[in-house]
Amino acid sequence: MLNFATRRFGLSLLILFVAVTVMFLMIRAVPGDPVQIMLGPRATPELQAQLTAALGLDQPIWKQLLIFYGNLLQGDLGTDVFSGRSVTDIVFQQLPFTLELIFASILWSASLGIALGAYAAAHPNTLIDRIAAAISVSFVAAPAFVVALLALLIFAVHLQWFPAIGAGEGFWDRLNHLVLPAFAIGLSWVGYIARLVRASMLEVMGESHVRTARAFGIAERRVVMVYALRIAILPVVTVIGVGMGFLLSSAVFAEIVFARPGLGKLVIDSITTRNYPIVMGSVLISTALFVVSTALADLINALLDPRARTAH
Amino acid sequence: MEKSRSELGQIIIGVARDPLGLMGLIIVGIIVFCAIFAAWIVPYDPIAMDIKSRMQGPSAAHLLGTDQLGRDTFSRVIAGGQVALKVALPAVFGAMAIGLTLGMIAGYGPKWLDNLLMLFFDTIRSFPTVMFALAVVALVGPSLQTVVFVVMATSIPTYGRVARTQTLTLRNSEFILAERSMGASMSRILGVHMLPNIIGVLAVLAAMDIPTVIALEAGLSFLGLGVKPPTPSWGALLKDGYSLIRQTPWLVVGGGLPIILATLGFTFLGESLRDVVDPKLRKQR
Repeated sequence: MLNFATRRFGLSLLILFVAVTVMFLMIRAVPGDPVQIMLGPRATPELQAQLTAALGLDQPIWKQLLIFYGNLLQGDLGTDVFSGRSVTDIVFQQLPFTLELIFASILWSASLGIALGAYAAAHPNTLIDRIAAAISVSFVAAPAFVVALLALLIFAVHLQWFPAIGAGEGFWDRLNHLVLPAFAIGLSWVGYIARLVRASMLEVMGESHVRTARAFGIAERRVVMVYALRIAILPVVTVIGVGMGFLLSSAVFAEIVFARPGLGKLVIDSITTRNYPIVMGSVLISTALFVVSTALADLINALLDPRARTAH
Repeated sequence: MEKSRSELGQIIIGVARDPLGLMGLIIVGIIVFCAIFAAWIVPYDPIAMDIKSRMQGPSAAHLLGTDQLGRDTFSRVIAGGQVALKVALPAVFGAMAIGLTLGMIAGYGPKWLDNLLMLFFDTIRSFPTVMFALAVVALVGPSLQTVVFVVMATSIPTYGRVARTQTLTLRNSEFILAERSMGASMSRILGVHMLPNIIGVLAVLAAMDIPTVIALEAGLSFLGLGVKPPTPSWGALLKDGYSLIRQTPWLVVGGGLPIILATLGFTFLGESLRDVVDPKLRKQR
């Protein structure tokens, strides 16, 4: 197990290293002087030289890469071009808002999805099973940002049940501000998780430990809830881990639509002002988040199911 | 040739027998039809401004109302479908072709090349799609080509991995061994014998990938980082509708519903295709 964990995290580190290097080289390979682009056409030559030196762009490329990694290992992602603040500070100030949103989305969609899937599996081929299947398929298809826009239009602008802008202050207000964006992000996951849980439930229900539990005369309700469901929800863990990238992507859009603070809003605002260090920092942090969550999902899976350890 | 045509016919019949598949076929058919004949269907020029009739609600003259520049929303929805397919089809086919080639090489070639290609796939996959798209757009600027490039780059690994797995399973099958013992070249084995066995699975994957691509194009255009105005795109409609959501809410509906419909159509079609082409795939997911 330890062996698997080391190998898995080694691979993650390697992937992250290649990804970051590729991104670094991509930024340098772009035609045009980044300093000129950042400062605009009216900047004086002195100002340009100053910024070039400040960003270390006058050094050879391999040295820039070394310096970049040196700084990165010390937790330094560079400096914001405009405010002079540390990019690390700025990104980590916004990150909790995005994580809060992603967590809320997973929480409601996974609970509902697992409940729907478990119920459908316990009562296969009934009307409710069919309705759940139809809902699953239809909701899987809805892109989060379209749902977010329609939800904004209906529930915030038209009915005015929920606030349209911002993240709110204080616990209840924040929760209230989370409802619509979390709804938009989670909606397509409900159906997906329900289908997943239903399929794995049906498989687990036929296994011997469930049959044994039944043979012992344990109530059917308890068999389903305790003996079958506990194992059947394992795939959900993997799917959420691997789905972190989708969740992050959806969160970017939800943050824009509902004008919420967060990583997504930070990136978009930085792109429009051509603030490359912040774009780079946010993409790096979100990539790291994604890589780590995928690895964690693999680990949890391997911990619970020894067969998965040899798959890589 | 005759045989493959009847096979294709059987696949279409199989899809049409499945109610969801039929629905998908109809929706996709309507979208493709509207995209091809957009120039004849649209009642107004989708980029012609008419300031006098700006921000009008839905009426007989303008089925879905007009936007802040007086452009007819219905015409822009129809023309937007054309733009969506113009991005989605080349991107998906390009990604499929490249992913297929790399995947087959990874599966059939030497081990070090396999490892290298897998690392390449894993690296691309490690960027969250939208974040990667935003980084690229930030660097090279928004345009239709950028969207196509981003979509291609991010979906190559999916095709590559599936093609690799398929190649690995086929690699030691008897007919390949027989062919190899007769001295067939690598390109002949891959192109003539492996390709027909892999392409079906990838085609299913491609059909299911199209909605993701359409959504990504619309998403980037919604952020103002996709196709440039005044090009009619569903995402651009959403962007206009969002900034004036109290005045022209019909733009949000006009841009949003086609995206949902297209996603539904291609998803139904893809799932039904998968069941017809290769029922085994269903269990793998």
